[in-house]
Amino acid sequence: MIQEARARDTVGSFSQMADARATTAPSSDSAEAALAFLAEMSPDLRGAAILGPEGEALAASGEDAERWGEDAGALLAAADAAEETPVEQVHIATEQGEVFAIRNEGLAAVAVTERFALASLLLFDMRSMLRELAKDGKGAS
Amino acid sequence: MQKPHRILLDRVSAYADEGAAFMRRRRIARRPFARLYYAGGRSADHAQDSTAGAELFVAAGRLIEVAGPKKGARG
Repeated sequence: MIQEARARDTVGSFSQMADARATTAPSSDSAEAALAFLAEMSPDLRGAAILGPEGEALAASGEDAERWGEDAGALLAAADAAEETPVEQVHIATEQGEVFAIRNEGLAAVAVTERFALASLLLFDMRSMLRELAKDGKGAS
Repeated sequence: MQKPHRILLDRVSAYADEGAAFMRRRRIARRPFARLYYAGGRSADHAQDSTAGAELFVAAGRLIEVAGPKKGARG
């Protein structure tokens, strides 16, 4: 089932974004800096990634940015497929940890945290981060 | 009659006990969930045994796997 979601065009899932205003991706350096700031602000964060307008990982924790891009794309595709409507935010809590995803200004961010992370605070930080990055992308274009 | 500072201390520790009990209950009782938020503030929960819920939990599991354990975590 997840393979079906993954097989669907990931780019398609990003073009359906609820708020797809940003057309130019911010630089990889600014995405890295934003991610480092998010990690500093969120003590429960295990890892995160920022995705560009085409669903590509602009910055990700660890070495495997490509896999972050694929798995985040699959999550957003599965979320969009749930009600055939583009989602703005995703919050999934499991026994192993919690997963958050948010779309803003044509960009997307995903984060994995410890259990019982402060959801509203983290989503607020993620949204602010994307808004700043989108400004950066528009400024660069 | 109790001294005033004893009353204050008792009240503070009662609040702390309440808070600790709430957190303990939350840890034990909280079940996994998948919640999606849409434009306009609408949200929808998807049970783990529903088709959409199962897909979401699998996708989330992959992300948890790629994130790995928290840096500095023991074990």
